[in-house]
Amino acid sequence: MIYLDSAATTLQKPEAVSAATAWAVSHLASPGRGGHWPAMAAAEKVFACREAAARLFHVDGPEKVVFTFNATHGLNIAIKTLARPGSRVVISGYEHNAVTRPLHALGVDLRVARGRLFDREAVLEDFRRELDRGADLAVCTHVSNVFGFILPVAEIAALCRTRRVPLIIDASQSAGCLPLNFEGLGAAFVAMPGHKGLYGPQGTGLLLCGRDPATLLEGGTGSESMRQTMPDFLPDRLEAGTHNVAGIAGLLEGLRFVEHQGVEHIGAQESQLARYIGEGLRSLPGLEVFLSPGTQAGVLSFRVKDRDCEEIGEALGSKDVALRAGLHCAPLAHESGGTLNTGTLRASVSAFSTRREADQFLRIMKNVIGSG
Amino acid sequence: MLYYLIVCRSLTYAQRTAAALERAGITARVIRSPKSISGEGCSHSVKISQRNLPDALRVLQRVGLTPKRVYITAGDGSYQEVAL
Repeated sequence: MIYLDSAATTLQKPEAVSAATAWAVSHLASPGRGGHWPAMAAAEKVFACREAAARLFHVDGPEKVVFTFNATHGLNIAIKTLARPGSRVVISGYEHNAVTRPLHALGVDLRVARGRLFDREAVLEDFRRELDRGADLAVCTHVSNVFGFILPVAEIAALCRTRRVPLIIDASQSAGCLPLNFEGLGAAFVAMPGHKGLYGPQGTGLLLCGRDPATLLEGGTGSESMRQTMPDFLPDRLEAGTHNVAGIAGLLEGLRFVEHQGVEHIGAQESQLARYIGEGLRSLPGLEVFLSPGTQAGVLSFRVKDRDCEEIGEALGSKDVALRAGLHCAPLAHESGGTLNTGTLRASVSAFSTRREADQFLRIMKNVIGSG
Repeated sequence: MLYYLIVCRSLTYAQRTAAALERAGITARVIRSPKSISGEGCSHSVKISQRNLPDALRVLQRVGLTPKRVYITAGDGSYQEVAL
């Protein structure tokens, strides 16, 4: 199979990930819930993962690294901590439903700093304008999950800091392939999945906390058990119930892989491969490719003139090419990119994707559109 | 053998405390706090030997991990809080 759906989940993982996950299932118990070896060993594994994440994202204390089920879970905590009905919230035009649906559910006053696709200056200018109108919160994705557009989050964070507007960053598509300095950004929260660019198993995610969070879940934490309120300290405040220890054990190995390979190296390799695929697609007749080297990560959208993207996706799937078609849970991004009516096909690569796979994909794609 | 227990507000703080001490060459072990000293319910402590307390407190102050409470074992198996 040629797997080009890493923006959803990286399927090829370092071997150590599955080994650590499998080992944890039968050896590790509940951290903080017992003094016996399986519980204490689980606690050590969980702490090692927090420390690895804190190192990778420049967080000044491992307790600020909170385990979540996925990025959506973390974004919900962050958004529901900082937004209220009627809050003035500025978002980019490239947000996923993981951001827009919680905001919609809260009933906020939503303002979109849209900016043209791949135009970082335009996005920044729109953020500046909307923030200057008055804002209670800003939320911005680091990389569009549809187009791979790298948004200027460092500059947006600077705008937010000077205006004292808390910022939430969705690092779903950037964690593991673009540098992210949490303390340097001064963000209120950064949410990310463990199962994409960090190469952990599904069901893992991280929320980096720069603010005191509100709880989304209440329950047992293995601490201050006499009290009926959740602990006021991290990470316990946000980690009710038993941890996904097996997932965290796998995530730790994923983080070690990313640290060893180097975020910049992985990012450069993925961007180059996406560009190679994009240029190859552009040489095919009837294809519109959303390509912008320099402002694009390893995610690439394209569409075929007068052809349904889902049908092309199906045809590719039948030839063992895995990529994603449709709206990618991000209608706002499609609206901003002008592709809402058609959707797009999306090819997304990982550190394990190869030039050979790209060439095979291009050959198959040529056949698929030729047979239409 | 006499030893000290540094009571921490969370498992993660206990782990940070133990890691900082170990990095400074002080043997430290995270354990669940005995019920009699656990305060609001379950908590974790870092166990260190009697001779290491002064050095441990210096290390923890340096890294900004000021202990919440410290106890010493008494001969009868009970614990006495140590004034810091």
